[in-house]
Amino acid sequence: MAELVKVTINGEVYEVEKGRLLIDVCREKGHAVPSFCYYADLALQASCRMCLVRIEKMPKLQTSCTVTVTDGMVVTTESEEIEKARRGMLEFLLANHPLDCPVCDRGGECELQELTFDWGNLEERFIEPKNYQPERYLSPMVANDPQRCILCKRCTRVCDEWMGEEAIEAGGRGAATIISAYGDWLNCSQCGNCIEVCPTGTLLDATYRHQARPWELVRTISTCTFCSDGCQLALGARGEEVLRTVARDRYVNGINGEFLCVKGRFASHPFVNHQARLRTPMIRYRKGGKLLPATWDQAVEFVAQRLSAIRDAHGPEAIGVVGSPRLTNEANYTLLRFARDVIGTENYTATDAFSLVPFFENMSAPLATHRDIRDAQTILLIGGEPEELQPLTGKQIRQAVRNGGARLIVVNSVPIRLTKNAAQFIHSRPGAEEAFVLALVARDETELAARKMGVEASEIERARRALGETQGTVVIAFGQLSPAAQKAVAQLPHLYAGDGRRFLFHPLPLFNNSVGVHDMGLMRGAMTATEMLDAAGEPIRALYVAGSFLRQQLDGRAEKLGRLDLLVVQELFETETTEHADVVLPAASFAEVDGTFTNNAGQVQRVRQAIPPVHLSKPDWLIVASVAEAMGAKFGIELSASAIFRDIAANVPAYQGLRYPLLKDESRPVQVKHALAERRDIGSEIEALHAAVAQMDEAAPKITETPPVGHELFKLGTLTEKLPQFHYLAAGNPKPENTLASSPLIQLTIDAALRKRREEMAVAGD
Amino acid sequence: MNPLPKEIEEEIQSFSPEVEAEIDRHIAKYPVKRSAILPIMFIVQRERGYLDAAGIAYIARRLDLTITDVWEVATFYTMINLKPVGKYHIQVCRTLSCQLLGADKIVERISKKLGIEPGETTPDGRFTLSWVECLGSCGTAPAMQIGFDYYENLTPERVDEILDSLKE
Amino acid sequence: MRIEAIGCEPLLLARFNLENSRLLETYRRHGGYEALRKALTTMSPEDVINEVKKSALRGRGGAGFPTGTKWSFVPKDSPKPKYVVCNADESEPGTFKDRYLMERDPHMLIEGMLIAAYALGAHTAYCYTRGEYKYLIDIMDQAIEEARAAGLVGERIFGTDFSCEVYTHTGAGAYICGEETALLNSLEGLRGHPRMKPPFPAVAGLYGCPTVVNNVETLCAVPWIIMHGGDAYRGLGTEKSGGTKLWSVSGHVKYPGVYELPMGYDDMERFIMEDCGGIPNGRKLKAVIPGGSSVYIMSADDIIGKDVRMDYEGLVAAGSMVGSGGFIVMDDTVDIFESTKNLIEFYKHESCGWCTPCREGTDWLVKAFKRIARGEGRPEDAQLLLDLCDNIEGKSFCPLGDAAAWPIQSAIKRFPEDFKRHLVPLVERERAVA
Ligand SMILES: Cc1cc2nc3c(=O)[nH]c(=O)nc-3n(C[C@H](O)[C@H](O)[C@H](O)COP(=O)(O)O)c2cc1C
Ligand code: SF4
Ligand code: FES
Repeated sequence: MAELVKVTINGEVYEVEKGRLLIDVCREKGHAVPSFCYYADLALQASCRMCLVRIEKMPKLQTSCTVTVTDGMVVTTESEEIEKARRGMLEFLLANHPLDCPVCDRGGECELQELTFDWGNLEERFIEPKNYQPERYLSPMVANDPQRCILCKRCTRVCDEWMGEEAIEAGGRGAATIISAYGDWLNCSQCGNCIEVCPTGTLLDATYRHQARPWELVRTISTCTFCSDGCQLALGARGEEVLRTVARDRYVNGINGEFLCVKGRFASHPFVNHQARLRTPMIRYRKGGKLLPATWDQAVEFVAQRLSAIRDAHGPEAIGVVGSPRLTNEANYTLLRFARDVIGTENYTATDAFSLVPFFENMSAPLATHRDIRDAQTILLIGGEPEELQPLTGKQIRQAVRNGGARLIVVNSVPIRLTKNAAQFIHSRPGAEEAFVLALVARDETELAARKMGVEASEIERARRALGETQGTVVIAFGQLSPAAQKAVAQLPHLYAGDGRRFLFHPLPLFNNSVGVHDMGLMRGAMTATEMLDAAGEPIRALYVAGSFLRQQLDGRAEKLGRLDLLVVQELFETETTEHADVVLPAASFAEVDGTFTNNAGQVQRVRQAIPPVHLSKPDWLIVASVAEAMGAKFGIELSASAIFRDIAANVPAYQGLRYPLLKDESRPVQVKHALAERRDIGSEIEALHAAVAQMDEAAPKITETPPVGHELFKLGTLTEKLPQFHYLAAGNPKPENTLASSPLIQLTIDAALRKRREEMAVAGD
Repeated sequence: MNPLPKEIEEEIQSFSPEVEAEIDRHIAKYPVKRSAILPIMFIVQRERGYLDAAGIAYIARRLDLTITDVWEVATFYTMINLKPVGKYHIQVCRTLSCQLLGADKIVERISKKLGIEPGETTPDGRFTLSWVECLGSCGTAPAMQIGFDYYENLTPERVDEILDSLKE
Repeated sequence: MRIEAIGCEPLLLARFNLENSRLLETYRRHGGYEALRKALTTMSPEDVINEVKKSALRGRGGAGFPTGTKWSFVPKDSPKPKYVVCNADESEPGTFKDRYLMERDPHMLIEGMLIAAYALGAHTAYCYTRGEYKYLIDIMDQAIEEARAAGLVGERIFGTDFSCEVYTHTGAGAYICGEETALLNSLEGLRGHPRMKPPFPAVAGLYGCPTVVNNVETLCAVPWIIMHGGDAYRGLGTEKSGGTKLWSVSGHVKYPGVYELPMGYDDMERFIMEDCGGIPNGRKLKAVIPGGSSVYIMSADDIIGKDVRMDYEGLVAAGSMVGSGGFIVMDDTVDIFESTKNLIEFYKHESCGWCTPCREGTDWLVKAFKRIARGEGRPEDAQLLLDLCDNIEGKSFCPLGDAAAWPIQSAIKRFPEDFKRHLVPLVERERAVA
């Protein structure tokens, strides 16, 4: 417990922890202090001068954002002198600021507007001409009205400290200072966090320009549907249309604060009301025929009859059921019950990119939350590329190093951007990261591992020492690993913990509900997704798929879908999988359903319905339940997400004791309790790893180029491609000829070369 | 992360060995490379007339910075020119001591002689005229710098002589 | 232009008039680098700091902070490298003394930097010089090379364990980089914004390491102090401000120049009227800005017959400050509204833009002054100008904001007539005449 000190604020005496920032203490105790530049967990700036207070024995007013409390400090936050200073600062800030709030997209949620109402000068004394700057675009995502800038530099700090990109900076000097980038064009990961933290209408969401006023929007807090980090976000809907996504912490206070990545921020909603959404159920009555619209009753009846017939003719194992790491726990759990209890097949799986079953079966330390990563002392990152694939984790790792002084060890065959923050980068040959895992669990393999990785044995030794010596939390984060390596990693704490050292794990799966779909048990079926595809036709005769197969799974196997007697697909859009379907059932998107996702920290977070299902679509679990009922089976559960969750809590051990209402508060996410494994014998894993490592090519050249920002983020997927601006990013985001008048998108319609580049950018298969 | 077209990015592979050595000497003075950014900007400016896009790209590469890092620094300092300036950059001090002793008359004379106002460059690209802040010549006011050379205790007549001597 | 000592033996100017004064040979012939030898071979670093403390030497860059005290703030036991940085950014309007110190006697500065480095345990010293002084950087580089060749810079100086490198560094046109923390940012290759204090540079300065920043003139005084003792130096001046001070005199005087005066020189009027030759062209003294543009302006009434003592306390008592010693004299042809406008334009141009009051305040003030100068002044503008200054003063991130406010506040207070005249719309003025 930190030392307590006595501080007097406006005559009231408080005992607070020594060393805390005065501004935080004042606010916590109910003494309002305005500010613009102060932003928790970013470098202090003290430039806006709004937070001035009087501290006894100090000659001038002091910025409360930079002063830490000491014993006996006597503070005044309200006095004529302070009022005048605050009014004076606001008057300065408004001097060159346009006073046309009604045309500004930030109007109604602008901090400058709010503070002016609270503290401002009502009489305008500035009669001089305002400095003029034209409105413009800084990227397809970022619209910019430089005149409104108050130079709080939150934007440049989040870009630098959170993202490590330093893409947006202040240029010029004095009153001509301008927030921009070289060439006035942002070539960055387009996270838009600068937009989010901007207190004024300076940096604005270009995809939402002039579309709605904030007070018209109904906000629904939900969980992001892209990566496994599970950021909390607020969907803004007008009527039955979702118009924007934000993470402003005054609406949302989740694990990510105001952070979101380009996909979460810009691509979360455009697909929801997209015209390409499937509108009705469709049936292909004969192979080679067309998909024809049908009613729900017809479609459900059709599916139930055909499935029953196949089961009767070929046995239940002829039917495969496939869930998806994109769908809610409730949907996946219903699918599992459908497979086991209704059809009676063990052939179920999900379309995840890889399975985490070997890891979870042997996991011997708890999962790290994103907060744990931020506070870690040592972070070991084996493989993966969180900057592109789990951006919140990337940000937390970066901040742990930059703001928390953590030691980062990166083991990777690619010099990913995070290596810039690493204390140690063990640069392995392509695909040889597992050799490092081998060396960690079997010391006498160090020489072999080093040789295969193309590194010095001492480098591995150094990393090993760091793991053994760290006092405080060690987080082991890892990307895709073979089953043997997963098991070895899962057992590392048994080898390195001791002495009260705290180990935590952070797996880096790819999808928003990868962990959930594992937890629901779908990944423990008798076949994997590719095995099922390979078996399509014989012995698998029918597949019931929620979502679609990944491109990598379909690669070379798409034709096999045509051999099935029956393919049923629940989807949002037409995909490569639906092309072969006999029945397509329109599913409701995450914005239209209730439920839960479980993120890579094992936190179960709510998905909330922002608008009713579009067209005739229905929640996935409801569709499955209808088919089950038509096949004569009742699940015995009420048909609601919370009812299904109750069933999950009763049957999935890690979720025991959880209740849907407990998950209400996104600022207090609930972590499920994955069982911790005892120390296991990993002799056979070491053998398997040894065999694999021994096979590795000792001469393979290393990858020396850091991949460009966005090489994964900007891939066009089924969802992201619904946002036109994403195509511009995929095409390389060149600076358009004119950034002033029209949206940069116009460039795509007039520049054929750009369109071609966009085509070439591989479509991600999800 | 680099928005510059490849041609510009690669335009300056390196300067002459002498200039590269000069740059290396500057970098060697500091424990952190970035410290050498201003000295190098002056060198690039000397070699190329001003700090153009290729120069910025070169500096970014040489110091392991992003071009925006270079841009934010370059735009802060008034002696770094991001636009072309004349061969002779005439910088007349406008601050108090020079003002008291007739800086206005000096600029008036230059303007008349060269046909340009402060902030402008002659069409032949030889002269740029600028007002600048205190040059540290208050005791020898009024004063100006042409390039890095000081001209002090100016009178309109001396201005004529000086400009004539440069016209050759 | 005159360069001379008045009321004391030339101390800083001692070698100025020697032929080839900037050569090492000349410097050594006149006792150069003997102070360094003395410090390195007979004194401990603490001895050096104590001597400087005794001397009552105060920073000549403008703030007047006691130099010995500043040096003693550097933590002795820090494992980090330490740095000495000479502030040769000299950009305060009216100030040009450092320029002549470096031009005429660069080795004196190098010796001062080396002694400071020895006292602080630093092995690297940088001289941050404003970019316009390119020719001085060349002079300094040559002098450093000479000294290095003679074993006075570099490894094991005078055969002792003390090693120190000295380097020059160039600014590129930014007054704010004279402020010591902005200077450090600039030296690190960043934009020249000031840093938050605390931590002070003595604890966390260049590259986060303990650093002492001193003005050229401050460091130039150090060799003399070591040679002759702190007491002797203090004896030249007053109890609280030791030694001599250079005054850069410009404006409406017969003999502008650099004058070395003992601290406590007793009469500003005599200094102007006699030492500097008085006001030319038969005009009368109207105003003096005694310490560089950032200090309060004084009127003739504040000076004539007032025996204004020229040292830190004396000038405060007279309603101004020593500042950098940039002494600007104005005769009765000057419109103080115009001269103030000239200065506020300077501050607007040089505001770094970091903090609200300075960035927006100076921009507004310039616009208001320009409007008034156009003939659109209003009676209420006097109050407006004062109020804007009040909203800047004491509230800005660094002292530049104060420096912009003070000249205006003092000008309006001391020369109200010069403002009043402008604060009636031109149309009304014309009408009144008609
Ligand atoms: C806006 C501003 C400009 C300054 N300019 C200079 C300068 O040009 N030269 C200088 O030596 N000190 C300047 N200073 C003072 C320095 O911050 C610092 O106090 C000084 O370098 C310390 O050295 P000293 O103790 O030897 O005076 C300036 C201060 C401010 C606030
Ligand atoms: S753009 Fe917004 S966040 Fe950035 S400095 Fe300007 S007002 Fe602040
Ligand atoms: S919040 Fe303290 S200065 Fe901005």
